Amino acid sequence: MIVFEKVSFSYSENLILNNISFKIGEGEKVAILGGSGGGKTTILKLIVGLLKPDSGRIIIDGVDITDLEEDELMEVRRKFSIVFQDGALFDSLNVKENVAFCLREYTNMTEKEIDEKVDELLTIVGVEHAKYYMTDELSGGMHRRVAIARSLAVSKPKMFLYDEATTGLDPVNALNICNLINELSKNGTGHIIVTHRVIDALRVADRFIFLKDGQIVLDGDRSILLSSNISDVMIFLSELKQIS
Amino acid sequence: MSIKIKKLLSDLQDYYILSFKGLIGIFRKPFYSKDVLDQMDYAGAGSFLIVMIVSLFIGMALSLQLSAELASLGLKMYTGKVVGISIIREVGPVTAALVYCGRVGAGMASELGSMIIGHQVDSLRVFGVDPIKKLVTPRILSSIVMLPALTIIGDAVALLGGYYIAVFVSHQSGYVYWSSIRDILDFENVFSGSIKPFMFGFLISSISCYMGLTTKGGAKGLRKSTTNAVVFSIIMIIISDFMLTRILLYLLGFSL
Ligand SMILES: Nc1ncnc2c1ncn2[C@@H]1O[C@H](COP(=O)(O)OP(=O)(O)OP(=O)(O)O)[C@@H](O)[C@H]1O
Ligand SMILES: [Mg+2]
Repeated sequence: MIVFEKVSFSYSENLILNNISFKIGEGEKVAILGGSGGGKTTILKLIVGLLKPDSGRIIIDGVDITDLEEDELMEVRRKFSIVFQDGALFDSLNVKENVAFCLREYTNMTEKEIDEKVDELLTIVGVEHAKYYMTDELSGGMHRRVAIARSLAVSKPKMFLYDEATTGLDPVNALNICNLINELSKNGTGHIIVTHRVIDALRVADRFIFLKDGQIVLDGDRSILLSSNISDVMIFLSELKQIS
Repeated sequence: MSIKIKKLLSDLQDYYILSFKGLIGIFRKPFYSKDVLDQMDYAGAGSFLIVMIVSLFIGMALSLQLSAELASLGLKMYTGKVVGISIIREVGPVTAALVYCGRVGAGMASELGSMIIGHQVDSLRVFGVDPIKKLVTPRILSSIVMLPALTIIGDAVALLGGYYIAVFVSHQSGYVYWSSIRDILDFENVFSGSIKPFMFGFLISSISCYMGLTTKGGAKGLRKSTTNAVVFSIIMIIISDFMLTRILLYLLGFSL
């Protein structure tokens, strides 16, 4: 459902993605790996049309979104549910209103129904006690979870996009979030998780794309990743070996 | 050099597009009435007291200056007229706009700027919400409603301040003061005084929103956009005040 054809992107003079092509099908569970500043977040932003490529084409469900206007992109964006790297919660709203945002925007639910739905979503991510907290009263992990709850309120996305959903969390919470991600994609919804933690990538994905210097140096399944002899990939993997 | 000019032109074009879209958003669905009310409360009700205090003292100072000057010419009885005209046509609208710009304009730029930095605007966009309609339109609408209201209140308070000085300090007749104020409250003066705050409200809110939404970088970028919002708004208030005055005098048939 996502096709990148020879996509290049740069911030002013700084070339971030260099002629990248890949296809991601419906229901696939993909991890995008790579070093900090490698352009992982940039790829997600290109997918939802927040950024425009310098050259190349991006096709979502057969629609070329490269030249779409902002209001034409709305349709495309509704197919995704994205959790940003820093959560990007609305800091003028409390947790409940953040989660309720899409419900208020797109449904005619009554106040009571919204309240119940918010409780349900917050229970899924395990922060139901923080319903009336303001966003600056949340810890990093709670912030991340609320952001996930908020993105769940988007009705029936075809694909979840998670930017560093587990980075900076303790191992227990990271595991919990991975389980949650798997749980959410159980009925055929796909997801793309961007991360530099190989452990978490292995927990949730069955296809791995490794970025380096603006190019894809590896694209394959678990066995290809684990047996790779690309030096950067091996450094990422050594983290795993040290543990086991 | 030519790159700079190009950049300036494209920035200017972006500003026009943003302010145009923000303005026509007032007439197009969806309407974010809660955001509009929030903004009105913050911008209007919140600035009420400052505008009153500033206007009171400006009215008093103006009246002091003019009574002293006019007394030496033996024309004390004109104090009300001159104070009234200056306040209603010129000083009132500009004062309220400058106060509004410092308080509300700066606030808009820094709020929207930090929403940009925290990717909250990106969040809105991926949720399919147009940031211009959700963020810019309510701010423009509330400004073109609230600034005229603030200006009227400010004018009234300034005239009262002028009255206090004229009667209790300069020992003039209160009746003469008020009747000359009543004389100058004719169509020409009221019209030229009340058209300005609409313009100023639009300029302040659109410039501040533009600066906020084009914030780049972290705290430093935020400082820059907040400063720019205030600086450009002030410059535009003063310049457009002059131009509007020129146009209005012409339209209303005053000869210079
Ligand atoms: N708004 C911006 N303006 C200019 N350069 C940017 C901007 N955002 C990102 N960059 C640059 O683009 C490059 C890629 O950024 P990106 O956020 O995609 O990296 P990333 O792979 O997600 O990194 P991380 O793992 O640290 O999140 C970085 O070198 C960064 O300096
Ligand atoms: Mg990133």
